[in-house]
Amino acid sequence: MAAYEKKYVWSVLLRLFHWTFAPSIFILIVTGLYIHWPWTNTWLEGSHQFTMAVMRWIHFIAGMLFTCAVLARLYLWFFGNKYEKVWDFLPITGRNVKNLISTLLYYAYLTDHHEERLGHNALAGTAYFFTIFLAVLQFISGLYLLYPENGFFVSLGSALFGTQQEARFIHYILNWYFAWFALVHIYIVVWNDIKNPEGLISSIFDGYKFHKKES
Amino acid sequence: MNRSLFLGGIPKTVSRRGFLRACAIATAAMGLPMEMVPKVAQAASDPKRPSVVWLHFQECTGCSESLLRASHPDLASLILNLISLDYHETLSAAAGKQAEENLEKAIERGNYVLVVEGGIPLKDGGVYCKIGGKTAVEILKRAAEKAAAIIAIGTCAAYGGVQAAKPNPTGAVGVSEVIKDKPIINVPGCPPNPHNFLSTVLYYLTFKKLPPTDKFGRPLFAYGRKVHDHCERRPHFDEGRFAERFGDVGHRLGFCLYKVGCKGPETYSNCPVIRFNDVEVWPVSVGNGCYGCTEPNFWDTMTPFHKRLPNVKIPGGKGIQASATEIGKAALGVTAAAVAIHAGVGIAKRLATGSKSEE
Ligand code: HEM
Ligand code: SF4
Repeated sequence: MAAYEKKYVWSVLLRLFHWTFAPSIFILIVTGLYIHWPWTNTWLEGSHQFTMAVMRWIHFIAGMLFTCAVLARLYLWFFGNKYEKVWDFLPITGRNVKNLISTLLYYAYLTDHHEERLGHNALAGTAYFFTIFLAVLQFISGLYLLYPENGFFVSLGSALFGTQQEARFIHYILNWYFAWFALVHIYIVVWNDIKNPEGLISSIFDGYKFHKKES
Repeated sequence: MNRSLFLGGIPKTVSRRGFLRACAIATAAMGLPMEMVPKVAQAASDPKRPSVVWLHFQECTGCSESLLRASHPDLASLILNLISLDYHETLSAAAGKQAEENLEKAIERGNYVLVVEGGIPLKDGGVYCKIGGKTAVEILKRAAEKAAAIIAIGTCAAYGGVQAAKPNPTGAVGVSEVIKDKPIINVPGCPPNPHNFLSTVLYYLTFKKLPPTDKFGRPLFAYGRKVHDHCERRPHFDEGRFAERFGDVGHRLGFCLYKVGCKGPETYSNCPVIRFNDVEVWPVSVGNGCYGCTEPNFWDTMTPFHKRLPNVKIPGGKGIQASATEIGKAALGVTAAAVAIHAGVGIAKRLATGSKSEE
């Protein structure tokens, strides 16, 4: 039997980020899809119902929390602990490129060998990097849509996306990226938790992972 | 002033342009494709004009007024040219006994469209509205016998109107409460839009039947949609921006009139689309909420006109965007504090241990 030791990996701020980010994405997708396609049409919209108004209100509030969470994660990219820093998991070093390839093979059931990482493996890390990058685009496009008369967001938004309608189009496409990401993320996390006894899921609650002791 | 036949200002002829314009508006109002315009125009120019008998009971003549005083003279002339108005109390030159004879003659000829304006009192044998010694109920029943179809114009004729407001002292009702065996179409409104009356008549002339209606007997093409759903102030409603009082900043900025009593969310009519008086206005566009005048019993159910049900919660309070901004600023503050604590702890640790903290 291999012996395991308990290691502190995820800081409080990172866990706060995660538990703001994840529910806000869920809420943003549900309310965003309603804004996109108000399927209750007018049968809910009457003298004392404000379905669209409520959906937009919740969407914007969740959007604010989402934006703050992303900003916190960006800070941790540079000032977080060793596992949270961006160069720990991006395939920019030889070690991380090797890890990326071996993780891909491992996930494809082509090999059982893989390098255990306390932080993110390079594949997950790359996906998260990409996701945070898109999240920045999403909140900029969202803020551009929300403040169409604010000079700062108008110049930033029109430089990045073009017109309001183009920004809205990108905002909508990215909605599907986040929906897809949420599904794949949950699937892979559960898969890993079943395959490896490192306590992956509980680590995002208490911050600790279990690491095989070199013996 | 010469008020001999029809009102002085209304020309008897219609320009071709005005004629086609009115036909096109009516066709669009009926929800028919533009290919139908020639058909409608053809039906409208049929020399065999349908005979119309127009009765007035408990009313203010506002419906006739709005029809004939439409700033667009072509519309009034068109309606008057479209139909052979064999009897209309306010407009006819004849009076007294002569007028009564005209009505009798028109009824004898039969097969006319009966237009009713005004409510019909039923209480105490109908004594509260009498013309030439006969009660409104008697006149209506007599005139309905030989009518091909009945159009109830205005909310009074359709559902009883203002005199039917609680406690309804005269027992006023609409036509459909009295006449059960004839096709009746209601064109309610206080007053109704003349275009909707014209379109109903044109529909009848074009298709030789009355248009499909909703459960209150109103033509669907005109009363099938909620006022609220076509209102130009709707974006303000969705955004949560309301006039709180007449004349306040929100009112001057053209915000939604919901909180000053607009009944658009409960009212079915095409007012925001068709608009009135040829100058493209309707109540909401000039800053007054909708009173719901096309709905049955609106005097009872829509009053007070300038109030909403108390304590209706509107999300966001100050407006969706403003409220989200406030929460966003607070969240940003909390994030900044969290980051500051994180950084502070890191620096303190490094100072304490003299090395870079790993975890
Ligand atoms: C994962 C994050 C997000 C998702 C999945 C998402 C999803 C959506 C979707 C599907 C729409 C409808 C677009 C359409 O009509 O085609 C939408 C609209 C919108 N979103 Fe987001 N959104 C997200 C984040 C944000 C953020 C951070 C903000 C800014 C605070 C924001 C502000 C808006 C605004 C202002 C609209 C337009 C609403 C309107 O036109 O009434 N969104 N969002
Ligand atoms: S003004 Fe009246 S009809 Fe228009 S959006 Fe407001 S509540 Fe609806």
